[in-house]
Amino acid sequence: MNGSHLSDMGAASAAPKLPTLKPAFKRRSKRLRAWFPYLLVAPAVIYLLMITLYPGIYAAVQSFYAVKFGPWNPVGFDNYVRLWGDYQFWGALWNTFIMGAISLIIQCVFALTLAFYAYRDPWVKGWRIIFLVPMLFMPSAVAFMFKLLFLDARVFADILIRIGLIDGNLAIQSSIWGSRALLILTDVWQWTPFLFIIFVAGLQGQDEEIEEAARLDGATWGKIFWNISLPLMRPVIAVALVIRAIDITTMFANVFIVTKGGPAFGTETISFFIYRTGFKFFNFGYASAASVIMLIITIVVAQLVVKRAFKSGKD
Amino acid sequence: MASVRRTKSENLFIRYLILGSWALFCLGPVIWFLSIGFRPRTEIITPQPIYISALSLDAWHMIWSDWPMAKYLRNSVAAIFGSVVIDLALAIPAAYSLARYKYRGREDIGFYILSTRMMAPAIVAIPIFFLFRNMGLLDTIWALMLIYAAINLSIVTWIIRSYMTDIPKELEDAARTDGAGDLRILWEIIIPAVLPGVITAAVIAMIFAINEFLFTLLIASTPDAYTMSVALANFTGGSDGLIYNAIALVAFLAFVPVFLVVIAIQKHLSRGLTMGAVKG
Repeated sequence: MNGSHLSDMGAASAAPKLPTLKPAFKRRSKRLRAWFPYLLVAPAVIYLLMITLYPGIYAAVQSFYAVKFGPWNPVGFDNYVRLWGDYQFWGALWNTFIMGAISLIIQCVFALTLAFYAYRDPWVKGWRIIFLVPMLFMPSAVAFMFKLLFLDARVFADILIRIGLIDGNLAIQSSIWGSRALLILTDVWQWTPFLFIIFVAGLQGQDEEIEEAARLDGATWGKIFWNISLPLMRPVIAVALVIRAIDITTMFANVFIVTKGGPAFGTETISFFIYRTGFKFFNFGYASAASVIMLIITIVVAQLVVKRAFKSGKD
Repeated sequence: MASVRRTKSENLFIRYLILGSWALFCLGPVIWFLSIGFRPRTEIITPQPIYISALSLDAWHMIWSDWPMAKYLRNSVAAIFGSVVIDLALAIPAAYSLARYKYRGREDIGFYILSTRMMAPAIVAIPIFFLFRNMGLLDTIWALMLIYAAINLSIVTWIIRSYMTDIPKELEDAARTDGAGDLRILWEIIIPAVLPGVITAAVIAMIFAINEFLFTLLIASTPDAYTMSVALANFTGGSDGLIYNAIALVAFLAFVPVFLVVIAIQKHLSRGLTMGAVKG
């Protein structure tokens, strides 16, 4: 606490006559002492401000201009007015949300199920290593893997035909929900392990005696998990889902490689929208306006959700 | 008794069915993709998928001779290594400050650092692009190094901070009464004690740096600064389309070292991935 800190220093100034016992740090002036923790944290904060505050201000200013590669022409709120009526922008927000939500729910259910079956299994270490594998590939590599598997080489459709489930070809690419499902599947494949690893660690960290006591009382394994282990896991699940949700909403490589946002902008995420507007059509002012909106959403979500999740996760 | 035993073996059957199917789902595409890396290009995209193909080292020769793969590797390693060094240099003092001192604004500073992890790269992509252009850093690994360090700084700080809060206060107090200064305590006592945390943070930062795609795509517009992640997206033979066997090989080339270091830090992985919030 602050108080104990101050009393430390008080003790130092009270015993100046014993130079051999005087610790080195206490020789510094009081003022430096008070600033010392700030000095330690300052370089990191300044570095981060350069990639958050500076770009934030830059984007905010640029969003009031029409910027191609030439001079900046002030346009007032035009960019924002245009965004308000831009169905592609709203579509991108919706796509980001709907694909993210579905993907997150599936991953959470799968990861919990797998963690439930694995965490007291004698081979849990082996399962963990196997399940980790997808997560350790570069997302761009995974995107190509699934693009080849489902679209270019059509292995998935071929297998379905061989089993006899379908008789024609699968039109994944030309269907909005087909393409969305492919992106969701790619994300589920690669990132369910992320949640699995965390959930297993959370479950293993729990007190085995509580479970044992419940088991002696005749409760089944499933009941114990549902009524005892799962409620205890709430903070862990919250933190893991928040992190995963952040990463899903910033999804870019998959969209860029697998669908390019198509068909009919049906899989275009907000990240891809900003990228396309800025770096394909060079409407930098317009893209910046979209960035500012995203930034505001991020800050609001961070304050309301993430802060709480990490506070509860700490204790 | 007999009925109890049967439900038990039934439970076991369901357990291994579920875990086994997921293992198959995980490894199936990986094994198939590995086979893509070792087949001739003509047997990859065919009217009927070929499951067992001829073995060929075409792609292996191609990535080293037709493309400057060695250079991409060097770029990746240099940018990632540099970024991790920057991260540790900035994050260790910051984490020490957040974990060991009580001062006004500490919680807010800590949360600000954490919140940078939430920012979508696309939000800051345009300003960062212009910033690096004005600094003349586009297309250099220096820009990649700086941006990877920035992306990972929050994670690295929070992981190390979490490990530092676990160290008993007495350890420091003992050194302090022996006359050691704060920085010496950090260097000689705290850092050795949190070494597993530092290594975990470095590994996690390395993985995210290897994975980084959007910034690398924008910053590296010529092969001078390509890293493995973006080089993949450029393995096209013009009108011939994507050269999948080369893509697959590079994917595994990046996978193997990551897999090995992650196995080495397995015990700390969940804590690292949650930035210290979940102690595994």
